Amino acid sequence: MKKIEAIIQPHKLEEVKEAIKAIGIDGMTVSEVRGHGRQKGHKEVYRGMEYQVDLLPKIKIEIVIPAARLDELIRTLVASARTGKIGDGKIFVYDVAEAIRIRNDDRGEGAL
Amino acid sequence: MNSIAVPGVRETLAVRAAEVEHRVRSAYTNTRFPSGVALTATGGFGRGELFPYSDVDLLVVVESEHQIAPIKPALSEFLQTLWDGGLRPSHAIQTVNYCVTDHEDNLELTISLLDRRRIAGDPEMYRWLDQRFRAYLSKRGAAIADRLASHANARRAKFQDTVHHLEPNLKDGPGGLRDLQTIRWLAALNPRVPAPDLSAAFEFYAGLRVRMHESAGRDQNLLSFDVQESLSEHPAELMRDYLRHARAVDQAARRSMESAKPREGNLVERFHDWRSRISNTEFTVLRDRVWLRSPASLDRGLSLFEFVARHELRLAFDTIDRLSGRGPETVWEDWRALLSLPHAGMGLRAMQESGVLASAVPEWSHVDCLVVRDFYHHYTVDEHTLVAIDSLETIQDRRFADLWAEIDDPAIVRFALLMHDIGKGSGHDHVDESRRVAHRVLERLRTPENDRATVEFLVAHHLDLSTIMTSRDLSDEATAQMLAERVGTVERLKRLAIMTYADISAVNPNAMSPWRLEQLWRVYLLAHSELTKTLYTERIHDAPGERAGFLEGLPTRYLRTHLDSEIAGHVELAGQLESRAVAIEIVHERGVYRLTLLTRDHPGLFAAVAGAISSFGLSILKAEAFSNAHGIVVDTFTFSDPHRSLELNPPEVDRLRGIVRKVVEGKLDAAQLLRGRPKPLLPSRGARFEPRVQLNNFASETATLIEIVAEDRAGLLYDLTRAISSAGCNIEVVLIDTEAHRALDVFYVTVRGEKLDGELAKKLRATLLAACSAS
Repeated sequence: MKKIEAIIQPHKLEEVKEAIKAIGIDGMTVSEVRGHGRQKGHKEVYRGMEYQVDLLPKIKIEIVIPAARLDELIRTLVASARTGKIGDGKIFVYDVAEAIRIRNDDRGEGAL
Repeated sequence: MNSIAVPGVRETLAVRAAEVEHRVRSAYTNTRFPSGVALTATGGFGRGELFPYSDVDLLVVVESEHQIAPIKPALSEFLQTLWDGGLRPSHAIQTVNYCVTDHEDNLELTISLLDRRRIAGDPEMYRWLDQRFRAYLSKRGAAIADRLASHANARRAKFQDTVHHLEPNLKDGPGGLRDLQTIRWLAALNPRVPAPDLSAAFEFYAGLRVRMHESAGRDQNLLSFDVQESLSEHPAELMRDYLRHARAVDQAARRSMESAKPREGNLVERFHDWRSRISNTEFTVLRDRVWLRSPASLDRGLSLFEFVARHELRLAFDTIDRLSGRGPETVWEDWRALLSLPHAGMGLRAMQESGVLASAVPEWSHVDCLVVRDFYHHYTVDEHTLVAIDSLETIQDRRFADLWAEIDDPAIVRFALLMHDIGKGSGHDHVDESRRVAHRVLERLRTPENDRATVEFLVAHHLDLSTIMTSRDLSDEATAQMLAERVGTVERLKRLAIMTYADISAVNPNAMSPWRLEQLWRVYLLAHSELTKTLYTERIHDAPGERAGFLEGLPTRYLRTHLDSEIAGHVELAGQLESRAVAIEIVHERGVYRLTLLTRDHPGLFAAVAGAISSFGLSILKAEAFSNAHGIVVDTFTFSDPHRSLELNPPEVDRLRGIVRKVVEGKLDAAQLLRGRPKPLLPSRGARFEPRVQLNNFASETATLIEIVAEDRAGLLYDLTRAISSAGCNIEVVLIDTEAHRALDVFYVTVRGEKLDGELAKKLRATLLAACSAS
């Protein structure tokens, strides 16, 4: 099993959710996060005052899937989240040792 | 209402209690208890109100301590019989003495005995208990009531002291069954406490609770989402009914608890007495509550609520009673006066509590207790609206707090918030419907065109910023353009941003997360920079209609910041220029003066007028300057009169007009006029800050943008504009604002129609900085 963690632009959330649902993946965790990568912060000038904006609002999506579906999911994510500009975000992939459904103790891929 | 109530629910409860009583009595008789023991029903069982899965409260009463141990074997046998019969007894053994003594940690016993009833055992023992307990109450009743009120407060605090919960607890939550009982107990304990009739609420709750117990098969009291759905096909309607009852009970419970509290100690009382000095001919203030002296003050206007908001008071219960069903006749000026006050929210709360809000604005009843049923919306629509308005008083974020402070007509924003969701529950798109309702209400209040248009705009667009926040690419230029197009002016943008801030904050206590706050600010900045980039320098060409000549060449912003009536006034003033060189108009409204001046542009003009105004000791709050293609300038100065020299000496207005005219015509030198003025008082050292001057050649396509933030002082604007004129620069557009001691000045300047070059920009910046610091 693999876990992907994708950081995307807030306005792309709906599109990404639709695309993932379309390939039959339903479970995901979405959080509102702030951070910066290469987009870095930037300075905003507002009425003569400079504001350093160093943490930009982003959306984090976490999904755990069977390893066999990883490539398909990544392709879908990239296609739906891309605008081609700096700040589009990143996808990280992790190995998952075990998954347990709390309700009935199902294990492994059956718990996903 | 009461669609859920089980018919004859009281009978159901009584029948169940009678049946249980029968079983308890026979179990008691079949067990060999020693003599001198009385079996007493207390609590719900004592009242004869037994819910299907409620505990059966029993108290075994004896005369002395040594009787307790010998009873135990019989008691266990007795209880076991009840358990085996499927009942859930909750029992205690106490001596009569214990029952009629104060116990710091056992108030529950005293309270449960208020609903005592003999079931079985020694009648003499019960009579003895009854007699002693009555005597105890007559001596200690008021003190027990006081403690009960404190307990109730602590219980309610666990539910944040509010009826607004998505999944309320029917029994212990504020406005629930326990509050209903508390109201009754307090009235029984202390004759000063009122005993209102809330039987409709009781029957509604009891009907719900019986069905909840039956379907859960246990003592279920949480009205969870699932339970709501299982109880009704229209859970939102069910919850609306629930909340209507809960609010009435909550209000009655607060009243009872307050009446049960003894008067405060000396020091506090003295403070309240001191507060009572704000009493006037219409209202009496006692213990921070407002009583009415003449009922006539209720029929017209909102002066009572203005008084409440101004002094941060609450209505006396007596006042609420007298207000019931009354709706004062109001006009826009009444609302403006109330909603301009910093604690306007308190006034609106008092209106809501007394029902006056719904009678003054009947449309308000559409959203009364209206439930938006999802996990996100914590409050009913009416409560959400009031929370939104309250949230303006406690803006934590510095940037939004500043923005709010800059808005000079807070009443407009508050009124727009009051209307923003009023169309919910109509079945139509709520934004559209809210705007329609707002239009109707504003017409009825005879609101001036200007204010009405702004409120309607804010209501119609109140979701725009939050939609853009989450669904548009903020780095896309098209987003910025679309937003600027839609909002039109910086003034509107500010109001909309503040309104969005309040709206989001009032969805639930955690809705305004740092994430959303940052997103909203980004959207604001985006629109702000787009608006300031184009609106000031983009010019009007070939406007339709007969005003075309006057409008030709004025910045687009001019159209966006002036009402039709104002433009008509300017066109009329422009007409006067055929016979004279300068047209001046001075008006006094809403506590400030506004001077409008039209004349042929010439170098140093703006500085000269600013200087002339300052020389009268007047304080310039805002200023704008626009010029059209024919070289005619429209300058507007808004200023306050801190020494009341114009207000107390009307001829001074004419003198001001004359002086401005002479300065414009070059017959008087502004510098000369200012020489005689006393030095301004500077704010304390701690409040001072470094001035900033920024020149920017990228913000506009045709002009250099100069942004200045400096400590405000008399004559500052004159010094700054003279410095710009002296450097040979032409001021294309001016936008002056002040906020507390800070002056926020924006100039678009050119030199011979071009932007400033590096060398000149550097020199001018140094000169301007020096002017900011000069005193």
